[in-house]
Amino acid sequence: MLEKPNKLRIALICGAAIGAVSAVPGISLINCCCCAGVWLGGVLAMYLYKQQFTEGMPPLESSDALMLGLMSGIIGAFTATVLGVLILVIIGPVEQELVKSIVGRLLDRLVEQGGLQTDMADSMKEQVEQSIRDSGKLSNIFGSLFMALILYPIFSILGALLGFAIFRPKNPPPTTMVR
Amino acid sequence: MEDNKRVYTILLFLTALWCSGILLAPSIHASHPAAASIVYSAYSPICHQVDGRCFHLFEAKWGVCIRCSAIYFGFFLSLLLYPLFRRLSSPSYPGRWWIALAVAPMVIDVVLNFTGIHPSTPLTRSITGVMFGLVLPLYIIPTLLEGVAQLRSQFSARGGFFYARKAQ
Repeated sequence: MLEKPNKLRIALICGAAIGAVSAVPGISLINCCCCAGVWLGGVLAMYLYKQQFTEGMPPLESSDALMLGLMSGIIGAFTATVLGVLILVIIGPVEQELVKSIVGRLLDRLVEQGGLQTDMADSMKEQVEQSIRDSGKLSNIFGSLFMALILYPIFSILGALLGFAIFRPKNPPPTTMVR
Repeated sequence: MEDNKRVYTILLFLTALWCSGILLAPSIHASHPAAASIVYSAYSPICHQVDGRCFHLFEAKWGVCIRCSAIYFGFFLSLLLYPLFRRLSSPSYPGRWWIALAVAPMVIDVVLNFTGIHPSTPLTRSITGVMFGLVLPLYIIPTLLEGVAQLRSQFSARGGFFYARKAQ
Protein backbone atom coordinates (compact mmCIF):
# COMPACT_ATOMS: atom_id res chain seq x y z
CA MET A 1 0.00 0.00 0.00
CA LEU A 2 1.21 3.52 -0.81
CA GLU A 3 1.98 5.98 1.98
CA LYS A 4 -0.15 9.03 2.74
CA PRO A 5 0.89 12.33 1.07
CA ASN A 6 3.45 14.48 2.85
CA LYS A 7 1.77 16.88 5.29
CA LEU A 8 4.73 19.24 5.66
CA ARG A 9 4.50 20.56 2.09
CA ILE A 10 0.80 21.40 2.46
CA ALA A 11 1.40 22.86 5.94
CA LEU A 12 4.16 25.09 4.54
CA ILE A 13 1.91 26.35 1.73
CA CYS A 14 -1.06 26.99 4.03
CA GLY A 15 1.12 28.35 6.85
CA ALA A 16 2.57 30.83 4.36
CA ALA A 17 -0.96 31.73 3.23
CA ILE A 18 -2.10 32.21 6.86
CA GLY A 19 0.99 34.33 7.56
CA ALA A 20 0.47 36.46 4.45
CA VAL A 21 -3.23 37.01 5.17
CA SER A 22 -2.45 37.91 8.79
CA ALA A 23 0.45 40.26 8.03
CA VAL A 24 -0.51 42.18 4.88
CA PRO A 25 -2.11 45.49 5.89
CA GLY A 26 -5.78 45.70 5.01
CA ILE A 27 -6.19 42.01 4.23
CA SER A 28 -5.28 41.15 7.81
CA LEU A 29 -8.50 42.82 8.98
CA ILE A 30 -10.18 39.52 8.01
CA ASN A 31 -8.76 38.14 11.27
CA CYS A 32 -10.89 40.68 13.11
CA CYS A 33 -13.78 38.28 12.56
CA CYS A 34 -12.86 35.43 14.93
CA CYS A 35 -9.50 34.79 13.25
CA ALA A 36 -11.33 33.97 9.99
CA GLY A 37 -8.08 34.09 7.97
CA VAL A 38 -6.55 31.39 10.15
CA TRP A 39 -9.73 29.28 10.17
CA LEU A 40 -9.91 29.44 6.40
CA GLY A 41 -6.21 28.51 6.22
CA GLY A 42 -7.02 25.31 8.13
CA VAL A 43 -9.94 24.54 5.82
CA LEU A 44 -7.72 25.20 2.77
CA ALA A 45 -5.01 22.89 4.17
CA MET A 46 -7.54 20.07 4.48
CA TYR A 47 -8.85 20.70 0.95
CA LEU A 48 -5.35 20.71 -0.58
CA TYR A 49 -4.33 17.63 1.40
CA LYS A 50 -7.38 15.72 0.22
CA GLN A 51 -6.46 16.56 -3.40
CA GLN A 52 -3.11 14.78 -2.93
CA PHE A 53 -4.75 11.42 -2.26
CA THR A 54 -4.71 8.82 -5.03
CA GLU A 55 -6.00 5.26 -5.29
CA GLY A 56 -4.09 2.77 -3.20
CA MET A 57 -3.34 5.25 -0.43
CA PRO A 58 -4.71 4.85 3.10
CA PRO A 59 -7.89 6.91 3.58
CA LEU A 60 -7.98 10.47 4.85
CA GLU A 61 -8.49 10.47 8.65
CA SER A 62 -9.46 12.96 11.35
CA SER A 63 -5.97 12.66 12.87
CA ASP A 64 -4.59 14.06 9.59
CA ALA A 65 -6.77 17.14 10.13
CA LEU A 66 -5.47 17.58 13.68
CA MET A 67 -1.81 17.33 12.66
CA LEU A 68 -2.23 19.43 9.53
CA GLY A 69 -4.08 22.16 11.46
CA LEU A 70 -1.42 22.20 14.15
CA MET A 71 1.46 22.38 11.69
CA SER A 72 -0.18 25.06 9.52
CA GLY A 73 -1.00 27.17 12.59
CA ILE A 74 2.56 27.07 13.96
CA ILE A 75 4.10 27.85 10.57
CA GLY A 76 1.47 30.58 10.05
CA ALA A 77 2.35 32.21 13.41
CA PHE A 78 6.05 32.40 12.54
CA THR A 79 5.36 33.56 8.97
CA ALA A 80 2.95 36.27 10.13
CA THR A 81 5.47 37.60 12.65
CA VAL A 82 8.39 37.62 10.19
CA LEU A 83 6.29 39.21 7.43
CA GLY A 84 4.86 41.72 9.91
CA VAL A 85 8.35 42.80 10.97
CA LEU A 86 9.50 43.03 7.32
CA ILE A 87 6.49 45.17 6.40
CA LEU A 88 7.09 47.36 9.46
CA VAL A 89 10.75 47.84 8.53
CA ILE A 90 10.13 48.45 4.81
CA ILE A 91 6.96 50.56 4.73
CA GLY A 92 6.28 51.44 8.38
CA PRO A 93 3.17 50.92 10.53
CA VAL A 94 0.71 51.12 7.62
CA GLU A 95 -1.99 49.03 9.23
CA GLN A 96 -1.84 50.87 12.53
CA GLU A 97 -2.17 54.16 10.63
CA LEU A 98 -5.17 52.71 8.77
CA VAL A 99 -6.79 51.62 12.04
CA LYS A 100 -5.93 55.01 13.55
CA SER A 101 -7.76 56.86 10.79
CA ILE A 102 -10.81 54.57 10.99
CA VAL A 103 -10.96 54.76 14.80
CA GLY A 104 -10.40 58.53 14.66
CA ARG A 105 -13.32 59.05 12.30
CA LEU A 106 -15.53 56.73 14.36
CA LEU A 107 -14.70 58.52 17.61
CA ASP A 108 -15.28 61.96 16.04
CA ARG A 109 -18.70 60.80 14.85
CA LEU A 110 -19.56 59.46 18.31
CA VAL A 111 -18.51 62.78 19.89
CA GLU A 112 -20.62 64.72 17.35
CA GLN A 113 -23.64 62.53 18.12
CA GLY A 114 -23.10 63.04 21.85
CA GLY A 115 -22.47 59.34 22.49
CA LEU A 116 -18.96 59.96 23.82
CA GLN A 117 -17.28 62.67 25.82
CA THR A 118 -14.43 64.59 24.18
CA ASP A 119 -11.87 63.75 26.88
CA MET A 120 -12.67 60.03 26.61
CA ALA A 121 -12.30 60.15 22.82
CA ASP A 122 -8.94 61.95 23.19
CA SER A 123 -7.74 59.32 25.65
CA MET A 124 -8.73 56.51 23.23
CA LYS A 125 -6.91 58.28 20.38
CA GLU A 126 -3.84 58.57 22.61
CA GLN A 127 -4.00 54.79 23.25
CA VAL A 128 -3.97 54.15 19.48
CA GLU A 129 -1.03 56.59 19.07
CA GLN A 130 0.80 54.75 21.84
CA SER A 131 0.24 51.38 20.14
CA ILE A 132 1.72 52.82 16.90
CA ARG A 133 4.76 54.07 18.80
CA ASP A 134 5.15 50.65 20.51
CA SER A 135 4.65 48.58 17.36
CA GLY A 136 8.37 48.35 16.53
CA LYS A 137 9.49 47.40 20.03
CA LEU A 138 11.17 44.00 20.38
CA SER A 139 9.00 43.10 23.39
CA ASN A 140 5.90 43.81 21.31
CA ILE A 141 7.15 41.63 18.45
CA PHE A 142 7.86 38.71 20.79
CA GLY A 143 4.57 39.32 22.59
CA SER A 144 2.62 39.09 19.35
CA LEU A 145 4.59 35.97 18.33
CA PHE A 146 3.73 34.39 21.68
CA MET A 147 0.03 35.16 21.27
CA ALA A 148 0.08 33.98 17.65
CA LEU A 149 1.73 30.70 18.69
CA ILE A 150 -1.20 30.07 21.05
CA LEU A 151 -4.09 31.37 18.96
CA TYR A 152 -3.15 30.37 15.40
CA PRO A 153 -2.76 26.61 16.02
CA ILE A 154 -6.08 26.54 17.93
CA PHE A 155 -8.03 28.27 15.17
CA SER A 156 -6.16 26.45 12.42
CA ILE A 157 -6.96 23.07 14.02
CA LEU A 158 -10.62 24.09 14.30
CA GLY A 159 -10.57 25.08 10.62
CA ALA A 160 -8.92 21.81 9.60
CA LEU A 161 -11.42 19.77 11.65
CA LEU A 162 -14.26 21.66 9.99
CA GLY A 163 -12.57 21.09 6.63
CA PHE A 164 -12.36 17.38 7.34
CA ALA A 165 -16.06 17.27 8.21
CA ILE A 166 -16.82 19.03 4.92
CA PHE A 167 -14.37 17.22 2.62
CA ARG A 168 -14.33 13.80 4.32
CA PRO A 169 -14.75 10.68 2.18
CA LYS A 170 -18.38 9.71 1.68
CA ASN A 171 -17.85 6.12 2.82
CA PRO A 172 -15.32 6.41 5.66
CA PRO A 173 -13.55 3.31 6.92
CA PRO A 174 -14.44 1.86 10.34
CA THR A 175 -13.31 4.31 13.02
CA THR A 176 -10.81 3.66 15.78
CA MET A 177 -12.86 5.38 18.46
CA VAL A 178 -11.94 4.40 22.00
CA ARG A 179 -14.99 3.57 24.07
CA MET B 1 -13.16 8.19 32.77
CA GLU B 2 -13.58 7.20 29.14
CA ASP B 3 -11.15 8.85 26.76
CA ASN B 4 -13.84 10.54 24.72
CA LYS B 5 -15.38 12.02 27.85
CA ARG B 6 -11.96 13.24 28.93
CA VAL B 7 -11.31 14.97 25.60
CA TYR B 8 -14.82 16.43 25.64
CA THR B 9 -14.37 17.72 29.21
CA ILE B 10 -11.05 19.37 28.34
CA LEU B 11 -12.62 21.06 25.31
CA LEU B 12 -15.58 22.21 27.42
CA PHE B 13 -13.26 23.56 30.10
CA LEU B 14 -11.10 25.45 27.60
CA THR B 15 -14.16 26.93 25.88
CA ALA B 16 -15.59 27.97 29.27
CA LEU B 17 -12.25 29.59 30.10
CA TRP B 18 -12.24 31.42 26.75
CA CYS B 19 -15.80 32.70 27.26
CA SER B 20 -15.07 33.70 30.88
CA GLY B 21 -12.16 35.82 29.68
CA ILE B 22 -14.55 37.75 27.44
CA LEU B 23 -16.64 38.69 30.50
CA LEU B 24 -13.67 38.99 32.84
CA ALA B 25 -12.22 42.00 31.01
CA PRO B 26 -15.19 44.34 31.65
CA SER B 27 -15.75 42.90 35.13
CA ILE B 28 -12.29 43.93 36.36
CA HIS B 29 -11.96 47.02 34.19
CA ALA B 30 -12.85 49.41 37.01
CA SER B 31 -11.01 47.68 39.85
CA HIS B 32 -7.92 46.34 38.05
CA PRO B 33 -7.45 48.35 34.84
CA ALA B 34 -3.94 46.98 34.17
CA ALA B 35 -5.11 43.36 34.37
CA ALA B 36 -8.14 44.19 32.24
CA SER B 37 -5.92 45.72 29.58
CA ILE B 38 -3.88 42.47 29.44
CA VAL B 39 -7.09 40.49 28.93
CA TYR B 40 -8.25 42.93 26.24
CA SER B 41 -4.91 42.66 24.44
CA ALA B 42 -5.09 38.86 24.56
CA TYR B 43 -8.29 39.03 22.50
CA SER B 44 -7.16 41.93 20.30
CA PRO B 45 -5.48 39.81 17.55
CA ILE B 46 -8.80 38.10 16.82
CA CYS B 47 -11.29 40.95 17.13
CA HIS B 48 -11.48 44.67 16.30
CA GLN B 49 -13.03 45.37 19.76
CA VAL B 50 -14.59 48.63 18.51
CA ASP B 51 -16.56 50.04 21.43
CA GLY B 52 -19.74 50.75 19.47
CA ARG B 53 -19.84 47.14 18.23
CA CYS B 54 -19.45 45.47 21.64
CA PHE B 55 -21.83 44.49 24.41
CA HIS B 56 -21.12 46.30 27.68
CA LEU B 57 -20.91 45.09 31.25
CA PHE B 58 -20.37 47.50 34.17
CA GLU B 59 -20.04 50.29 31.56
CA ALA B 60 -17.02 48.59 29.94
CA LYS B 61 -17.00 46.72 26.62
CA TRP B 62 -16.75 42.92 26.50
CA GLY B 63 -13.47 41.34 25.41
CA VAL B 64 -14.73 40.83 21.84
CA CYS B 65 -17.41 42.35 19.58
CA ILE B 66 -21.06 41.30 19.50
CA ARG B 67 -20.66 38.97 16.50
CA CYS B 68 -17.62 37.19 17.97
CA SER B 69 -19.30 36.94 21.40
CA ALA B 70 -22.38 35.40 19.79
CA ILE B 71 -20.26 32.82 17.97
CA TYR B 72 -18.23 31.86 21.07
CA PHE B 73 -21.18 31.68 23.45
CA GLY B 74 -23.25 29.81 20.85
CA PHE B 75 -20.35 27.38 20.48
CA PHE B 76 -20.14 26.96 24.27
CA LEU B 77 -23.88 26.40 24.62
CA SER B 78 -23.92 23.83 21.84
CA LEU B 79 -20.88 22.11 23.35
CA LEU B 80 -22.58 21.99 26.74
CA LEU B 81 -25.77 20.46 25.33
CA TYR B 82 -24.05 18.14 22.86
CA PRO B 83 -24.04 14.97 25.07
CA LEU B 84 -27.78 15.31 25.58
CA PHE B 85 -28.43 14.90 21.86
CA ARG B 86 -25.52 12.87 20.50
CA ARG B 87 -23.39 10.08 21.89
CA LEU B 88 -19.74 10.94 22.37
CA SER B 89 -18.70 7.41 21.47
CA SER B 90 -20.32 7.28 18.05
CA PRO B 91 -19.17 9.93 15.61
CA SER B 92 -21.94 11.09 13.33
CA TYR B 93 -21.93 14.27 11.32
CA PRO B 94 -24.87 16.31 10.13
CA GLY B 95 -25.10 16.84 6.37
CA ARG B 96 -22.63 19.24 4.77
CA TRP B 97 -25.35 21.68 3.81
CA TRP B 98 -26.10 22.50 7.44
CA ILE B 99 -22.82 24.35 7.75
CA ALA B 100 -23.60 26.36 4.61
CA LEU B 101 -27.06 27.16 6.00
CA ALA B 102 -25.50 28.26 9.30
CA VAL B 103 -22.87 30.50 7.67
CA ALA B 104 -25.13 32.02 5.00
CA PRO B 105 -27.13 34.42 7.26
CA MET B 106 -23.91 35.78 8.79
CA VAL B 107 -22.29 36.30 5.38
CA ILE B 108 -25.47 37.96 4.06
CA ASP B 109 -25.56 40.25 7.12
CA VAL B 110 -21.90 41.26 6.60
CA VAL B 111 -22.34 41.80 2.83
CA LEU B 112 -25.54 43.85 3.25
CA ASN B 113 -23.78 45.99 5.85
CA PHE B 114 -20.65 46.54 3.73
CA THR B 115 -22.63 47.41 0.62
CA GLY B 116 -24.80 49.80 2.61
CA ILE B 117 -28.02 48.06 1.54
CA HIS B 118 -29.02 47.29 5.12
CA PRO B 119 -26.98 48.15 8.22
CA SER B 120 -26.37 45.24 10.57
CA THR B 121 -27.77 45.74 14.06
CA PRO B 122 -26.76 44.18 17.39
CA LEU B 123 -29.75 41.85 17.00
CA THR B 124 -28.80 40.61 13.51
CA ARG B 125 -25.15 40.23 14.57
CA SER B 126 -26.19 38.24 17.65
CA ILE B 127 -28.68 35.96 15.89
CA THR B 128 -26.47 35.16 12.89
CA GLY B 129 -23.41 34.67 15.14
CA VAL B 130 -25.24 32.34 17.52
CA MET B 131 -26.57 30.29 14.57
CA PHE B 132 -23.03 29.73 13.31
CA GLY B 133 -21.67 29.02 16.80
CA LEU B 134 -24.42 26.50 17.58
CA VAL B 135 -23.75 24.43 14.47
CA LEU B 136 -19.93 24.31 14.68
CA PRO B 137 -19.59 21.74 17.52
CA LEU B 138 -21.76 19.29 15.59
CA TYR B 139 -18.89 19.02 13.10
CA ILE B 140 -15.91 19.69 15.33
CA ILE B 141 -16.62 17.37 18.29
CA PRO B 142 -16.94 14.09 16.34
CA THR B 143 -13.89 14.94 14.21
CA LEU B 144 -11.83 15.91 17.24
CA LEU B 145 -12.77 12.82 19.28
CA GLU B 146 -12.11 10.57 16.30
CA GLY B 147 -8.81 12.32 15.54
CA VAL B 148 -7.52 12.07 19.11
CA ALA B 149 -8.46 8.37 19.25
CA GLN B 150 -6.60 7.77 15.99
CA LEU B 151 -3.53 9.64 17.21
CA ARG B 152 -3.57 7.59 20.41
CA SER B 153 -3.69 4.33 18.53
CA GLN B 154 -0.92 5.54 16.19
CA PHE B 155 1.24 6.43 19.20
CA SER B 156 0.47 3.06 20.79
CA ALA B 157 1.41 1.24 17.60
CA ARG B 158 4.74 3.07 17.57
CA GLY B 159 5.31 2.45 21.28
CA GLY B 160 4.90 6.16 21.98
CA PHE B 161 4.03 8.18 25.06
CA PHE B 162 0.48 6.90 25.60
CA TYR B 163 1.57 3.30 25.15
CA ALA B 164 4.34 3.78 27.70
CA ARG B 165 1.88 5.24 30.20
CA LYS B 166 -0.57 2.38 29.67
CA ALA B 167 2.17 -0.20 30.11
CA GLN B 168 3.02 1.27 33.50
